[in-house]
Amino acid sequence: RQGTAATMCPSPCHCEEDGIFIMVDCSEMGLSSVPANLSPLTTYLDLSMNNISEIQPRAFHRLHLLSELRISGNQLRYISGLAFQGLHNLKVLMLQNNQLERLPDDAPWDLPNLLSLRLDANLLSVVPAEAFRGVRSLRHLWLDDNSLTEIPVMALDSLPSLQAMTLALNRITHIPDYAFTNLSALVVLHLHNNHIRSMGSRCFEGLNSLETLDLNYNDLQEFPVAIRTLSKLQELGFHNNNIKAIPERAFVGNPQLQTIHFYENPIQFVGKSAFQFLPKLHTLSLNGATQIREFPDLKGTTSLEILTLTRAGLSALPLDLCEQLPRLRVLELSYNQIEDLPSFYHCSALQEIGLQHNQIRRIESSTFQQLASLRALDLSWNMIESIHPDAFASLHSLVKLDLTENRLSSIPVVGLSALTHLKLRGNTELYEAFSPDNFPHMRVIEMPYAYQCCVYGSCDSYKPAGQWDSEQSSTNEDLHKRTVAMYPIHTDTHYDPDLEEFQLEIEESKLQASVQCTPTPGPFRPCDSLLGSWLV
Amino acid sequence: HKPISGVSSGCQQGGCLTCSDYNGCLSCKPRFFMHLERIGMKQIGVCMTSCPPGFYGTRSPERNTCTKCRSECDSCFNKNFCTHCRAGFYLHLGKCQENCPEGMVRSDAQRECIL
Repeated sequence: RQGTAATMCPSPCHCEEDGIFIMVDCSEMGLSSVPANLSPLTTYLDLSMNNISEIQPRAFHRLHLLSELRISGNQLRYISGLAFQGLHNLKVLMLQNNQLERLPDDAPWDLPNLLSLRLDANLLSVVPAEAFRGVRSLRHLWLDDNSLTEIPVMALDSLPSLQAMTLALNRITHIPDYAFTNLSALVVLHLHNNHIRSMGSRCFEGLNSLETLDLNYNDLQEFPVAIRTLSKLQELGFHNNNIKAIPERAFVGNPQLQTIHFYENPIQFVGKSAFQFLPKLHTLSLNGATQIREFPDLKGTTSLEILTLTRAGLSALPLDLCEQLPRLRVLELSYNQIEDLPSFYHCSALQEIGLQHNQIRRIESSTFQQLASLRALDLSWNMIESIHPDAFASLHSLVKLDLTENRLSSIPVVGLSALTHLKLRGNTELYEAFSPDNFPHMRVIEMPYAYQCCVYGSCDSYKPAGQWDSEQSSTNEDLHKRTVAMYPIHTDTHYDPDLEEFQLEIEESKLQASVQCTPTPGPFRPCDSLLGSWLV
Repeated sequence: HKPISGVSSGCQQGGCLTCSDYNGCLSCKPRFFMHLERIGMKQIGVCMTSCPPGFYGTRSPERNTCTKCRSECDSCFNKNFCTHCRAGFYLHLGKCQENCPEGMVRSDAQRECIL
């Protein structure tokens, strides 16, 4: 307590001066009622986390200057209309985490300047039509985590200034037509974690300013066509629902859309024109829509940066894919039936391409030409038999290349000097042992055969088996000891290496020792050729 | 308004479900928000009925979490909708901007764009 605040501070609260006004904190003090002698100069009052179960009428009638009132975390079941008399300047009212079962309908709260009202985490099952008649300036309303079974349509009619509302975590099953007609200023609407199964096709009429609509975690059976009237919509979520199809021209009324989250829906069908003309959309991900046969027409959706279209039935890609999507950074098309690839030449921003688990047979010289930003390319589990010698020539940034389980007998190394990860396992016709010089930055390499790892010094057939195994098992042994073990020549007495040369060799061995090459050669997968063939 | 009431740390808080003297609340009672408050080098778990200034709360069936608002907001409804701006920014329809739309002027007292 300080200065004049000390004289006006009700026991056992803490007070702080704010000029001539005072801020009073009575939180977590075990109070069972509102302190009586509150100063009229109080602008902030925190009564949260006490045992208050009732507010006497006119408890705050002298607090004309109060701006923020917190009564959250108490045991309030009902607050009469008279309780808040006199709070002409109240802007923030926090009533969350109580046990409110109903709101006043006879004489609603008269709070003409209230901007934020928190009623979340209570037991409200109904909101009377008159409940908000006295809070017409309200901008932010929290009604989430209650027991509402319906949208409080009539009550919301009194809130023309409302800008943000959450009705999440209730038991709402249906959104009727014209549910939010008067909410022309609403920007954010959260309806996630309800039981919404259906909605009127005109249920969002009137929401002319809506930018964010969250319908996640509901039970929607069909695509919410009602969004067609939301011309300002920027962020839409309906993931974790039960929607099976996205119709043609699904978002024709939402040209401002930037993000659409709809994963965890059993989507089988997507209209070819569904995602057209969304110039601000930057992410589109579709997984498991098995009925998609054709690549969607993305005309006018020019800002797309991330496109994921996996586990569908695609067999071909449009030749003009990159003309439509010049800003593409991530293209993930795994688990389709793609055979031929267009040239990705115009997708110059591409950083990641995932084409694993398709039916690709050839890589042409033009396929990945000029993709100077490409860092990761996954072509594993295809049927690739040939790769044009210049196919990777311009991939200067490529660090990860996965060609696991293809039919390659050779691969071009031109352009792959930046690789740190290379996977070739499963290419049973590929016998070549690549020189480490081809891949100066290599760290992880998977080869079809163990002997192909010998160039990485990870094997030495002169060593007794015991030491061989111990080196393999302990990965964090002292580097110097391991280096000597790998190059026994250094231990010869008459050998007297020049120190600099010796350090160079240590650097080199450090480099090669840090390359993890598998399968690791061993007693049964020796480095030396046995009977002219490595297959024993 | 910057609330002067910090919720008492350690295990005495009303919203704690499980806690340790060293880390404060480890889990919260239903319907409380879990927030990690930094005190020096330590992080103390705090269970609250509303997130501290500069954070917004998200309720979900599993847990209730506090997430930082955008830097220009003092308080917000969600990550894209501010309810009060930092000094030097002015609120209009949930956005904190340095300038106001045409036809509106900046109110420094409320940090809002007004007609």
